[in-house]
Amino acid sequence: MIYSVATGFVLWILFPIWYTLSSSFTKPSKIGIHPTPFWPENPTLNNYRIVLGIPVHGKNCVPGIDIKLCETAQSNVSVNKIVETMLHSFYVGALVVIFTLIISTIAAYSLSRYRFIGSNFFLNFTILSRIVPGLVLVAPIFIFLRVLNLLNTPWALIISYTSFTLPLAIIILKNYFDQISIDLEEAAALDGASRMQTLNLIILPVAVPGLIATGVLVFLESWSEFFFALVLTDSYTVPPLLAGFLSMQTFNWTLLSAATVIAIIPPVLLTMIFQKFIVTALASGTGK
Amino acid sequence: MLLAIPALLTVFQSLFVVPADGIGIGEFTKIDNYLFLFKNEIFWATCLRSIWFALIFIVGSTVIGLAAALLLNEKFVGRMVLRGLLVLPWACPWLIVGIIWKWFLDGNIGLFNGVLIRLHLISHYKDFLSDPKWALWMTALAAIWRQSCLVALLLLAGLQTLPRDIWDAASVDGAGIIQRFRHITLPWLRPALTVVTVLNVIYGLMQFDVIFAMTQGGPGSATTLLSFLIYRQFFIFTNFGIGSALAVALAFIALIGGLIAVKTLYRKIEV
Repeated sequence: MIYSVATGFVLWILFPIWYTLSSSFTKPSKIGIHPTPFWPENPTLNNYRIVLGIPVHGKNCVPGIDIKLCETAQSNVSVNKIVETMLHSFYVGALVVIFTLIISTIAAYSLSRYRFIGSNFFLNFTILSRIVPGLVLVAPIFIFLRVLNLLNTPWALIISYTSFTLPLAIIILKNYFDQISIDLEEAAALDGASRMQTLNLIILPVAVPGLIATGVLVFLESWSEFFFALVLTDSYTVPPLLAGFLSMQTFNWTLLSAATVIAIIPPVLLTMIFQKFIVTALASGTGK
Repeated sequence: MLLAIPALLTVFQSLFVVPADGIGIGEFTKIDNYLFLFKNEIFWATCLRSIWFALIFIVGSTVIGLAAALLLNEKFVGRMVLRGLLVLPWACPWLIVGIIWKWFLDGNIGLFNGVLIRLHLISHYKDFLSDPKWALWMTALAAIWRQSCLVALLLLAGLQTLPRDIWDAASVDGAGIIQRFRHITLPWLRPALTVVTVLNVIYGLMQFDVIFAMTQGGPGSATTLLSFLIYRQFFIFTNFGIGSALAVALAFIALIGGLIAVKTLYRKIEV
């Protein structure tokens, strides 16, 4: 009984992904077979080669059916932009993570340790702003960036993503700092350490798991974000590039599936590796 | 503050006819943008559709997520593998969820049809996404696919803190499995459920990526949600005034939805 339910879940989770994976190994000419096969017939790596910009060898190009395949290898630039775009995504993600972590560590630490005027308001406001979605804010941000002439630069994304990920990061880190015993700090203070020194030398090393989890979550968010990347830049990061595939003249699902598989490898790896940290952080971060 | 200023600006803009270049604010029209919306049938229909989509999404992902969490809380061989799998959909960006499902459900090459045919549930390939009756359900299903995994992970974290002895004590006292679920597990999970539901309300109402990838609001207007309408007003018709009014309306609905979720779930804690 329990195994049949479990199998059901596995199928429910895996089927869509499996189809994408198997399509990415299928030859474009074999894609329309009915009933749709579970397993690609004569699997090929050509889709990946094209998407990654590796030239397809002449003997693989069957004239007639695969002629498009041969041409796209050299000429179609938008298809094999995936590598470059992923580097952009990494760049944006890394900077967003750095900025968010610096700002949110200081903010979360002060929220966790001090009671200043308006600290409660600030905390509640942070939680509330997590609920206000980006969709509602896009027009003013768009206009700001336009006035500042930052549209279609990585900074457009870095600035807007940082402002969106900050609340989440602050909440998670505050909860994390709350759990760290205050004794350590008092000892440090007795030894004459300043607040910033305490934060740097005592708290940060202890808080590494929390920082990792927050960093990974922030990175995932900036990797996945589509709407802002779509309207603020010209396909600078991965999601809008993939969306651009959909409206291409010579649309090709096998190529798109290969690109999709490549695009989800980094987030999947990250979550697999840091799963424990992330789930704990999420559960605590949203638990308030 | 980075978020507060744009939020206020959105409200502000919604009161004006903003010129298409978005610089300056144009003519002050008081609440004309809102009046225009309230008199507009498309607006109301889209609101209802958004709420309907959100409801399907919330119920679907909570039920599936809860079931998955309960299942994973039991001990069986392969449990860790399944738990690892749960992360997989969640790691996919929303847009990619949309892309994956669009082609999975495709009426010509999709595997979904292939499975249904093999099971003899349908006799020939059917394009679910271009059928107005099915499109909304299928887009919601794709969104549920991702969200239910997050729900499961969060609820599972909650379940694992449930002290086993309470459960055992109740079963010694003769409580059946359903009674135990209702009187022990559910109350225990209520804080987690509240959080999850609030998250779901937001994700459900704001869903854009999946719709964009799967149907672009079609067929007809069968999957045009408020979020998609806002996108069109802003960036296709560059109608910032109306777009902002729509955005404010959407934020308002989300706020009410969130409040309803918190109120209903929290009240029951005290009972």
